[in-house]
Amino acid sequence: MYYKFSGFTQKLTGSAPATAYNPQGLRSGLPAESPTMIFATPTKVVSEAGATAEYMGANKVPDLQKVFQTSDGIPVHLKRGYPDRLLYRTTMALTIGGVAYCLVALYIAAQPNRK
Amino acid sequence: MAHQAHAYHMVDPSPWPLTGAVAALLMTSGLAIWMHFHNTTLMTLGLILLLLTMYQWWRDIIREGTFQGHHTPPVQKGLRYGMILFITSEVFFFLGFFWAFYHSSLAPTPELGGCWPPTGITPLDPFEVPLLNTAVLLASGVTVTWAHHSIMEGHRKEAIQSLALTILLGFYFTFLQAMEYYEAPFTIADGVYGSTFFVATGFHGLHVIIGSTFLAVCLLRQVQYHFTSEHHFGFEAAAWYWHFVDVVWLFLYISIYWWGS
Repeated sequence: MYYKFSGFTQKLTGSAPATAYNPQGLRSGLPAESPTMIFATPTKVVSEAGATAEYMGANKVPDLQKVFQTSDGIPVHLKRGYPDRLLYRTTMALTIGGVAYCLVALYIAAQPNRK
Repeated sequence: MAHQAHAYHMVDPSPWPLTGAVAALLMTSGLAIWMHFHNTTLMTLGLILLLLTMYQWWRDIIREGTFQGHHTPPVQKGLRYGMILFITSEVFFFLGFFWAFYHSSLAPTPELGGCWPPTGITPLDPFEVPLLNTAVLLASGVTVTWAHHSIMEGHRKEAIQSLALTILLGFYFTFLQAMEYYEAPFTIADGVYGSTFFVATGFHGLHVIIGSTFLAVCLLRQVQYHFTSEHHFGFEAAAWYWHFVDVVWLFLYISIYWWGS
């Protein structure tokens, strides 16, 4: 644990090694120790935060971040599962079908008028 | 995900450039087929494919930025440069229409009667609806800045309300322009006056609709807690675009509506 003097609270508070108060400089030879994280207030879960924070619905971003950050090797456009696959396959079917239809239409348009 | 020692975004392989390119092929070929055979199937197919591509591509960018955290400060810097270059290209797009307008109006040809507005053209009164439109767009510029400051200070409710107000002002502008078009005593076919007027104001109107859509997407994202007080570039890009549309209108108003009448 490293400490520094906080000008705000006028007390010693925890700090990162780089910003700690070290009148003698950092002592070499001591193993580097990561500081314990100190939270000012306990982290609030959205449901505890009260009605004002839920104006027009609750915050689903943390849940979605969990879903989209799972390392399963699935590319981002299919990460949400079935609805993504359905939309992707519809788009791909239209792409392939559209190219075929387009080539046929252009081929017909290129034929001389036989009237 | 494998450990990565830099802050740049390594994108996943994506099908959207391919589907977007095919959408462009179908729409252009579809346009030719429409003109030759009076059949809009291919063009409609291309339009649907384009809309599907736009939805899914931008949906993925939101996933990458908001949910996966790929929009780190250096990536955001790239997005900023990209948006600046895009808006610069839009400036030059409109410069072309202003060039056409000044080319035609500064030295009117004898066919026009040697005057501007040309003989037989009754222009719109710039101090009626166009002045109201100027006020509406300037007011929307104020409300979008209000929304930005609300987001930066974490005032969720105020941000939602001011952003909704901005979009409503955008729709009001579009409504007023539609009424003006309906009531206009000249058409796009009425010589170079009609052509320059409707092409310049029409493309501006299209950009207002695009900007309103962009802001509406930002409103939906703001409601869904996507923007933080520190990171909300999607909103900033929409605000830049909106200001650009606003400035183009001021030039249109001064040049075409006021000086040109």
